[in-house]
Amino acid sequence: MTAHETSQTRIAPAWTQQLRALLRSQESVLLFITVIAVLILSTQTDKFLTVRNLLNQGRLMTEIGLIALPMTYIIVTGGIDLSVGSIAGLSAIMLGYGWYNLGLPLELAIVLALVIGAIAGFANGLFIILFRVPPLIMTLATLAFYRGLAEGIAQARSVRDYPEWFYALGQRETLGIPNQLYFLVIAAIITAIILSRTTFGRSLYAIGNNELAARFSGIPVRRNKLIIYTLSGFMSGFAGYVLVSRVSTTRSDMGSGWELDAIAAVVLGGTSIFGGSGSIVGTMIGLVLIQLLKNGLALTGVTGDATIVVIGSVLILSTLINSVIQRRVEGL
Amino acid sequence: MQPPILELNHITKTFPGVTALDDVHFDIRPGEVHALLGENGAGKSTLIKVASGVYEPDSGEIIVEGQPVRFGSPRDAQAHGIATIYQELLLYPELSVAENIFMGHAPRTRLGAIDWATMRSRSLEILASLNIDDMDVTRKVGSLTVGNRQRVEIAKALSMNARVLIMDEPTAAITESDVERLFSIIELLKQRGVGIVYISHRLNEVFDIGDRVTVLRDGRYIATEPVDQMTEDKLVSMMVGRTIDNLFPKLDAPIGKVVLEVRNLTRKRVAHDVSFQLREGEIVGMAGLVGSGRSEIAQVIFGFTPAHAGSILIDGREVRITTPGQAMRYGIAYLPEDRGTQGLIRQMDLRANTSITVLRALSRATFINRHKETQLAYSTIEQLSIRAYGPQQLVGKLSGGNQQKVVVGKWLATRPRVLIVDEPTRGIDVGAKAEIHRLMSELAQQGMAILMISSEMPEILGMSDRILVMREGRLVAEFSRAEATQENIGLAMMGDIGNNGKSVNSQLDGVEWQA
Repeated sequence: MTAHETSQTRIAPAWTQQLRALLRSQESVLLFITVIAVLILSTQTDKFLTVRNLLNQGRLMTEIGLIALPMTYIIVTGGIDLSVGSIAGLSAIMLGYGWYNLGLPLELAIVLALVIGAIAGFANGLFIILFRVPPLIMTLATLAFYRGLAEGIAQARSVRDYPEWFYALGQRETLGIPNQLYFLVIAAIITAIILSRTTFGRSLYAIGNNELAARFSGIPVRRNKLIIYTLSGFMSGFAGYVLVSRVSTTRSDMGSGWELDAIAAVVLGGTSIFGGSGSIVGTMIGLVLIQLLKNGLALTGVTGDATIVVIGSVLILSTLINSVIQRRVEGL
Repeated sequence: MQPPILELNHITKTFPGVTALDDVHFDIRPGEVHALLGENGAGKSTLIKVASGVYEPDSGEIIVEGQPVRFGSPRDAQAHGIATIYQELLLYPELSVAENIFMGHAPRTRLGAIDWATMRSRSLEILASLNIDDMDVTRKVGSLTVGNRQRVEIAKALSMNARVLIMDEPTAAITESDVERLFSIIELLKQRGVGIVYISHRLNEVFDIGDRVTVLRDGRYIATEPVDQMTEDKLVSMMVGRTIDNLFPKLDAPIGKVVLEVRNLTRKRVAHDVSFQLREGEIVGMAGLVGSGRSEIAQVIFGFTPAHAGSILIDGREVRITTPGQAMRYGIAYLPEDRGTQGLIRQMDLRANTSITVLRALSRATFINRHKETQLAYSTIEQLSIRAYGPQQLVGKLSGGNQQKVVVGKWLATRPRVLIVDEPTRGIDVGAKAEIHRLMSELAQQGMAILMISSEMPEILGMSDRILVMREGRLVAEFSRAEATQENIGLAMMGDIGNNGKSVNSQLDGVEWQA
């Protein structure tokens, strides 16, 4: 029997196999858990499953979502970016400082904030590729460094009283849907397509699975790493801008702890923390699940501490289910 | 004749899409070396994984000293005295020799703490019983040579009172003197009544130390015979199901113009002042000891570690190559030495591995054309007769020879003009080896220029039109096919005998002198 004949005989049931693989994927498992969670929560309170509440949750999760998208890329390559929250804070401060203290037009201050975010991410990437600093250590250092910069520049002053148009992004709706949610959805679609369909996306998986072999295959590993860390910085900056627009004020502690929320969404979404596998769809489901749990539990009167415990348990549970399924698939 | 310690009867094991073992028999008696032979993909690895409790067979029985047993895990097999030494040694590099030997079953003091003194002294005893008296048991395993690490693995098996020791390609990565030492240790183990399952691609080793030999082919049991009633030809034809008359079929190819030329190529500490030419249709062999700068010069040409000085010319025009991507644009392909860590992405499927070098060509505006990608995978499988169930198979699950074919396939997909192959047939079976040699020969006939780095003298002598010899980062000799002999190449590789106070023997380590 030749190899070709073998492959031919395998084609016939291919679609059932694909369906089975789809059902077994971490994304499907997670979607199932999400649906169950929604059903349970909706029986506990009638304030939860309303269009108004759900759209509002979409508004609240946008900033973390914008960061979780490039975070997925980075974790797929086996890296991590802990400095995202600090970059968001720094960008937010630069926005307020540029406009209020430097007297820049607000439009220019927004651009400044985004550019600062991108530069901060680029600096992370540059050190990681040039001096081979492990991403964990590099971004742990800049987590402190960028936050320190933000606080130094802000000097404990907050900036408020932005012109009315500035709040459009964070507080208004178009066709009944919060404005920032459009950005999140568009960004998610674009990043998902890039990761799953393009040569760039493929190279990220290759790097995450075997960086050495990727380099030996002619993949521009260092260039691509630089791109994703820069993208992460840019998106963090953008998230900082969205946050300022939503809460109407700029403070130097903005974005604290976001790195953990973003990483939790990515990992819950099935992206391996060791790199090499994962998807944007998974990240988005993870993001939604965490937000709905937070909100639903709060509405049913569960305290904040207990909510964190539940979220932690869901993370562990989904990981367990996934590893059991993986083991069965591999037949070990 | 003594009854077997371990018997495997009617073992069948299937994986999705493939039957890895089909009604296979194997048994091992005390004090014998039982060689297990077969091409890559014949089922040897699966069989030893069944014997060592990694896989449970779909059907068939496992009998230890007359009693049927079931191995649910490697631990169960170990408890029955069956130990396995895999190709990739499974030791903890950051722990000491003694800690590795007693990992998981350390001697305890009465208070339940680890008894370090006993652990060290018992480690020394075990090593001494194997005539190993030159090892410091407090040293970190990571700092040992591969040969020494292997001895630690053997000692570890003995510390668990192993009665069956399965060795998977124990000589694949060790030097000639380590091989001799391994054989004397095997002799000692035989005298103690340990049964040894020995897997190797080197037939001469099977004849050197084997008592019986079992051959598998395509997952089926072919035969078990006493080694002294076998000949090499007979074994090979049993393994491949056909006779291989010429192992090195370098066919005559018209030699054309110079494609690649390097002048005074230098990279600090690894290569100095290397100059040579490579012509269309030519296979140039590159010999040298391990560490002589062979792979290093190839990686300089490929842009992986760019040159510090010197120049590279393609078709007579000087080019600047600082990344593999640039080298690929000039039509250079490099098959690295270690397919597992450098050549392949084992966790990804065959399709993604073959397309990785040509993603841009398979895509439109960076969107990968899945259909074209799958087509490439199918044509690679067909062209190189890769034994895989399809483009979706993870390459890590393929056998060594088939993995190597995937590496070849991914580079042929780039349609290179210059093909640099680094140890193209290391650790693969005779059948796959002959196929790769035939392929290289055909590629040369089609006008490809091939630089072949190899440690195997017969391969160098059989395949090359010209032979370059590297020593200590320099190109020290060049022979035509007619001039080349094992002796003059060997002398050039080692330089002046007694150089640096090293004996000829130690310098010979890492070269395979098999004819």
